[in-house]
Amino acid sequence: MKVDAVNSKQIEQFLTFELANEVYGVEILKVQEIRGWEPVRVIPNTPSFIKGVLNLRGSVIPIVDLRERFSLEHSDYTQKTVVIVLCIKHRRNESFVMGIVADAVSDVLDIKIDDIKKAPNFGTQLDTRYMRGMHVYKQNMIMLLDVDKLLNPDEVDDIEAISDIGSFE
Amino acid sequence: MKINMPITNNEVVMKPNTILVTRTDLKGIITFANDAFVEISGYTREELVGSSHNVVRHPEMPSAAFEDMWRALKQNRPWQGLVKNRTKSGDFYWVNANAMPLFENNTVKGYLSVRLTPSRAEIDAANQLYRKVNAKETTLHPTGLAAARKVLSEISMGKKIAISAVLLMLPNILLLRDLIANENYPLIGAFAFSTLIACWILAHITNTTKRFFTSAVHELFRLSVNEFSPPLNLTRNDQFGDLFRGIYVAGVKLGDDIAQAKQANSNSLRIIQGLKYAECSILITNANAEIIFVNQAAEQLFLRAQQDIQNVIPHFDVQKLLGSSIDLFHSVPALQKSALDTLHDSKTSQFDLAGHTMQLTVKPVFETNGERIGYVAEWLDRTVEVKIESEIEHLVSAIKQGDLGKRIDLSDKNGFMKSLSININDLTDVIENVFTDINHIIKKLAEGDLTNSIHSDYQGIYAQCKDNMNDAIFKISEFILQIREAADFVNTSSQEMASGNNNLSNRVEQQAASLEETAASMQELSSIVVSNAQNTQNATVVVKSAAQLAEKGGEVVKSAIAAMQAINESSNRIAEIIGVIDEIAFQTNLLALNASVEAARAGEQGRGFSVVATEVRNLAQRSATAAKQSNELIQNSVQEVRSGTAFVNETGAALIEIVDSIIHVGTIVGHITTASNEQSSGINQVNQAVSQMDDITQQNAALAEEAAAGSMAMSEQSAKMTHLLNFFKVNGKSPTTHAPSSLAASKPAANTPSAAKSKKVVNAHFDEWEEF
Repeated sequence: MKVDAVNSKQIEQFLTFELANEVYGVEILKVQEIRGWEPVRVIPNTPSFIKGVLNLRGSVIPIVDLRERFSLEHSDYTQKTVVIVLCIKHRRNESFVMGIVADAVSDVLDIKIDDIKKAPNFGTQLDTRYMRGMHVYKQNMIMLLDVDKLLNPDEVDDIEAISDIGSFE
Repeated sequence: MKINMPITNNEVVMKPNTILVTRTDLKGIITFANDAFVEISGYTREELVGSSHNVVRHPEMPSAAFEDMWRALKQNRPWQGLVKNRTKSGDFYWVNANAMPLFENNTVKGYLSVRLTPSRAEIDAANQLYRKVNAKETTLHPTGLAAARKVLSEISMGKKIAISAVLLMLPNILLLRDLIANENYPLIGAFAFSTLIACWILAHITNTTKRFFTSAVHELFRLSVNEFSPPLNLTRNDQFGDLFRGIYVAGVKLGDDIAQAKQANSNSLRIIQGLKYAECSILITNANAEIIFVNQAAEQLFLRAQQDIQNVIPHFDVQKLLGSSIDLFHSVPALQKSALDTLHDSKTSQFDLAGHTMQLTVKPVFETNGERIGYVAEWLDRTVEVKIESEIEHLVSAIKQGDLGKRIDLSDKNGFMKSLSININDLTDVIENVFTDINHIIKKLAEGDLTNSIHSDYQGIYAQCKDNMNDAIFKISEFILQIREAADFVNTSSQEMASGNNNLSNRVEQQAASLEETAASMQELSSIVVSNAQNTQNATVVVKSAAQLAEKGGEVVKSAIAAMQAINESSNRIAEIIGVIDEIAFQTNLLALNASVEAARAGEQGRGFSVVATEVRNLAQRSATAAKQSNELIQNSVQEVRSGTAFVNETGAALIEIVDSIIHVGTIVGHITTASNEQSSGINQVNQAVSQMDDITQQNAALAEEAAAGSMAMSEQSAKMTHLLNFFKVNGKSPTTHAPSSLAASKPAANTPSAAKSKKVVNAHFDEWEEF
């Protein structure tokens, strides 16, 4: 399907959202659902960027706060705060569902693949694996995220463990 | 036989252990009777001594008894028997009488009668016996056979022995005759020998017994004449020895008793000698009030008063005082028998005896058993003392009444009384001198002469009195000098006062004019204040309406605030609704996004749906934008309303403050009104005061005139006073002799009220004074 889309139009749809007054984008096909913010069940003894787990129609999904993950300034959750439920690929090609907390959703953009600029190289020390590229849109620079690499493999394992426990329940 | 009558049935019972003793001469005339006998007999000692003993004989006593007694006594034998005696009053008493002859050089010189107290049984027996004897039923001595038996039994011992020896010998002689007849010689010899021995022993016993009795009787009689060392054989072991020892013991005991009696006698003799020469006058009587002791002082006391006493008691004789009854002083109440009998303790009385003031202290003397045995009377002739007392009393009462001229006569005084009298006279002299001096000074003082003083020497309070008197005179004269100066000064001052009063009068008139002006000003001031009060009342009305308006404004503000609040609430509501719309837009957007996601998943088939979703999202975004703008507007509106409300609230508060201020202004204006009213009334009072002051000033003017006149009068009075003071004669300064009287005489117009006139007069005075 992805191949089809790339081949047919060379256009990819991205869901953009705001985080600390900056716009980020994720592939829309990775998005499973967009929800308004609701309180989560806190899981003790987890990294601070994991806010907890959410009951999504019977399945337990972990919720990650991208602000904390990206070491941005912390902000209170408002009525505009949304949870974007993503379906990501694991290293063993297994998929699992998790939610990320965004300040607000912005738009659905159709972006030509060619218009996606490569992520700048900051040197090997910096961890920028989660960046897929940058897109300039109406004087704004949208950072397009590679959702599969948003988290470290170890972190994904930990979250998966939480998720599994939730699944078993 | 003497029969003493009358008799009564009253028995006087002798007290136990009493001994009644009398002695008579050979004819039965009483030579001595002891106190107990005198007391019980009822006679006085004078009556008894010298008269026959039969004065106490009781008629019921059988004469045989006395005959028996006299027979015994004539035979020099003691006699013993119960005797009923009669007292002077006719009562009777029983005694156990013991009469015996008294020997002196072996001859009877008289008879002693000692009577003891009989027992009641003995009295009864004797009474019975004597009654029978009186009735001739029996005799005192046995007669007939009894008498013969008595005679036989009383035959002397020698005769009895002789008779008995003869009677014993008779059969022996008969036997001897037979023996002689039978010529039995040995037996005769033995018989004769034993008979001779028996006769010898018998004779010896008889002799011994006779000798013994003779010597015993001799010794016993010797005892009766006070010879107490009987030379008796005390070593005999038979009954005679016992008898001798008995006699000996009795004799020695008697000797001891007599020695003790002598001892007691010498003791009492010493006391009597002491009393005899004691300073105080003592009379001692026995229980019958007979004088048994008079000491020397008493004798001299009565000797001194004898002549006077004989005027009252004619037979009074100091030499015969001893032995006579105290009844001699029958005029003295304290010495009457009835008074003495009831006396139990010492009693002192004072009485007048024939012009002599006697002080008498009588004290009864009691035996240790409480029996009254006499009286001791101590006499004190206080005549001289009393005379002195009365003289002193007269003198003192004269002094009390102010008569200091009397003195005690010294001619008939000596010793203590004289020195006492001299001292009292000296005392009176001193008092008289003091009072004479003081009297003189005060008399002079009354005459105005203050130049005298007391110069005599006195001591103590008199000296103080003298000094004080002199000081007083000195002070008074000093005072008079000062008063004189003061009077002069008063005179001068009163003149000055008169002129001063005139000036005062003028000034008072000026004052009155000023006061009238003041009164006019006050009237004006009063009218101003009244209008002021009126204005403030108007202001009050205005203030009240302003206050009402302000209150209304406040209410309007309140309703505006309410309206603002309603707007505010509506705006809030609108904001909420907009919020809901915004929420819906948000949710719609989310749904549209989800739809876009789904459409993207659907790929080519979802393209159309994607477009629709985009449109929906656009709509949702527009709706959200509109809601946001509306919300902003509404928020602005709410903000505006809030600030409007704040303004209105401030306005309301300002209005309330305005109302309060207006009310405060109203109150102040009210106060001003009240104050104006008070001011008005105050000004009225001031007005009244001013008019009163005006009146008073008028009166003052009059008074000033009167004062001027008064000071003139005062001047006259001071002149008179100076004149009067000249009455006193004082040491050191002669009386001032200015002519105040003439001054006073030249001022007849002093009392006229006209100030001007008196002023002139005063000026005239001044001129004269200056000249003076």
